[in-house]
Amino acid sequence: MKDNFKIAWRNLWRNSRRTLITAASIFFGVFFAVFMSSLQQGSFENMVDNMVRFYSGYIQIQETDFKEKRSVNNSFKVDNALETSISNNMHITHSTQRIESFALTGSESKSIPAMLFGINPEKEEAISGLSKWIGEGEFIASGSKDILIGKVLAENLKVHVDDSLVLIGQGYHGVSAAGIYRIAGLLDFPLPDLSKQIIYMGIRNCQEFLSMPNLITSYVIMVNAPEEVSGAVTDLHKDLSKELKVYPWDELQPELVNLIEGKVASGKVVKALLFMVIGFGVWATIIMMMHERRRELGVMIAIGLQKFRVVIMIVIEAFFIGLIGILSGIAGSSLLVWYFVKNPIIVTGEMAETYRSMGFEPILKFSANIDIFITPAIIVFVIFALISLYQIYYVIKLRTVTALRGLN
Amino acid sequence: MNVIEIKDLVKIYNSSEVKVKAVNGITIDFEEGEFTAVVGPSGSGKTTFLNMLGGLDRPTSGSVKIGGTNVWELSSRKLIDFRMNNIGFVFQSYNLIPVLTAGENVEFIMHLQGKPKKEREKRTKELLESVGIGDRIKSRPAKLSGGQQQRVAVARALASKPEFILADEPTANLDSKATSGLLELMSEMNRKHNTTFIFATHDQRVMDKARRIVTIEDGKILKDERFER
Repeated sequence: MKDNFKIAWRNLWRNSRRTLITAASIFFGVFFAVFMSSLQQGSFENMVDNMVRFYSGYIQIQETDFKEKRSVNNSFKVDNALETSISNNMHITHSTQRIESFALTGSESKSIPAMLFGINPEKEEAISGLSKWIGEGEFIASGSKDILIGKVLAENLKVHVDDSLVLIGQGYHGVSAAGIYRIAGLLDFPLPDLSKQIIYMGIRNCQEFLSMPNLITSYVIMVNAPEEVSGAVTDLHKDLSKELKVYPWDELQPELVNLIEGKVASGKVVKALLFMVIGFGVWATIIMMMHERRRELGVMIAIGLQKFRVVIMIVIEAFFIGLIGILSGIAGSSLLVWYFVKNPIIVTGEMAETYRSMGFEPILKFSANIDIFITPAIIVFVIFALISLYQIYYVIKLRTVTALRGLN
Repeated sequence: MNVIEIKDLVKIYNSSEVKVKAVNGITIDFEEGEFTAVVGPSGSGKTTFLNMLGGLDRPTSGSVKIGGTNVWELSSRKLIDFRMNNIGFVFQSYNLIPVLTAGENVEFIMHLQGKPKKEREKRTKELLESVGIGDRIKSRPAKLSGGQQQRVAVARALASKPEFILADEPTANLDSKATSGLLELMSEMNRKHNTTFIFATHDQRVMDKARRIVTIEDGKILKDERFER
C-alpha cells in the first residue's frame, strides 16, 4: 500500500501543470460553493434572526385558535403550571408575555391602522434589544402609560415624540377600546414593514386598553440556539393544557420558510451546475491521464501487478488531486468567509433602499457553519468516487497485450 | 530438461471482414539455459507467438506449459502471479515505470512478490551492478540513456528469478554500441547463471549471438536451427 501511495504521489507531479490546473478547477469550485453558501446561509440566518427577535421568537405559546383568527378573544391566562414548565425548560433562555392586536391610530391629520403590541419592556429588551432601535425619544419602562411607535408610522401620521396619539380598537369580547397616549419614542427599525405599522405599549397598559386583565395572546420564548427549538417544543407540549398550542418559529413564519426554501433550491441548482462542469472537466483530465499511461499500466500488469492494485494506485492518484483541490479550496474560502463573518457587507445607496422596500435589512451577513465547508467536500468526494468507477472499468477492460503496444 | 512445452498453438484474429491466422499450429519445446532467437519478417507472427508464450495473449487453441503448468488454464489473477514468478519481460521500448528510480523499478517486482526489504535492496544492488549501472541506482529512467534503460529492464526481468526471459525486439531502439553491450550482458547472464532467453528479433547481431534460431513465417515454424557458440 505504501508503494501505491508513493507511485500515485509521484505520478501527480509527472505533469505538474496539469495536476495543478485540475486541482485549481476543484479549488475554485469549492471556493465559490463555500462563499456562495456562506453568503446565502448568513443571509437566511440573519433574516430568521431578525424575524425571530423582532417578532415571533423561536417559539410561541398561543390559544389554539389565535393563529387562524388573530383576535384578543382568543387570548389566555398564564397559570402557575405554564410558568413552571417554561422556567424548568433547559433549552429556554428568555421568555415574555405579549398581547398582539390591532388599533386605529389617529393624529390631527390622519388615521392609520397599526399593529399593537402589549409588551413587558424589560423582558422584550432582553430578547430583541428593542431600545437600540429608538431613533428619537426614549424607551418605555414597565408600568409606563406611554407608547413607542414606528418612525415611518410617525412620519405618516405627522406626529413627533411627546405628541399624543389616539388609539381606537376593539377590546376583549367586543368591548370598545379607546385611549390617548403620549409618544415616548420613535422606533427606527431596519425592516420598514415593521417601522410603518408598529406600536408598543406596556402589557398592563394594553390589558387595560383592551379590557382583558391578566390575559395575553402569546407567550414568546427564546432558546439557546435554533437547533434546540424542537427539543424545547417537545418538552413544552408535555405540560400544556388542551386550550394552548406551541408553535416553532417556522410554523409562525411560513412565508419566510417558503422564501428561504425557494432561494436554497435555486442556490442548489447553481451549485449543481458548477460542480457538474468541474466534474466533467476532472473526468476529461482523468481520461487523458489513463490514456497516456495505457502502456505503462499494461507493463505493470504484465510484470505481475494485479489489476485491483492498479485500480487502487490510480484511484489514490485521482483522490490526491481531489484532496489538494478540496483542502486548498476550503482553506482559501475559510479565510474569506472568516473575514466577512467579522465584517459583514453593509449595503448602501439605492440597493439598500431596494432591500428595505422588500422588507430586508440592508446588510449581507455570512455564515461560518461547518456544513458550508463539509457539503462541497462531500460533493467533490462523490464526483471522484464516480470517476473512480470509470477508472475501475478502464482497468478491468484493459487488455495487457494491446496496452503494451500502446493501442486502444 | 524442457522448461517450456508448446503444442499446436493457434491464434486467429477476427477483424471485421477477415480472419487472420497470426500463429498457425506451432509446436515447439524450449530447454533450460537456451539462448534462442525467434526470427521472421514483419507480420510473420513472432511477437504474437511470444505474447502467448508469456501469458499475455490468449491463444485461440493449443497449450503452453511452463514448468508443467498449462498457463492458459489459470485464472486471470493466477496468471498474473504466474507471470510475476516465472517469466521475465524485456520490451522494445524499455517500458520502465517513469516515476520510479532505476533501483525502485528493479525492486518493484520483488516487492510484489513480498520479499523482505533487506533482501530486495541487496538483490537490486547486485542486479544493477551486474548489468553495469550500479552507480545509477537512484536515477529516474528519463535521466538514463536508451542502453542504460534497457539494462535496467534486463535487471528488472531477472529480479524475480524467473524460469526464462522473453525479450521482444530488445535492441530495436538502441545504437550499435548499446546493442553489443546489452547482448554481451545477456549472453553472459545466460552462460554464468544458465538463464533461459527467448528473443523475438530482426536484429542480425542478436541472431549472431543466439545458439538456437527459430524462423517463423506466416505463423508457422519454417526452420529450427541450433548452433555451437
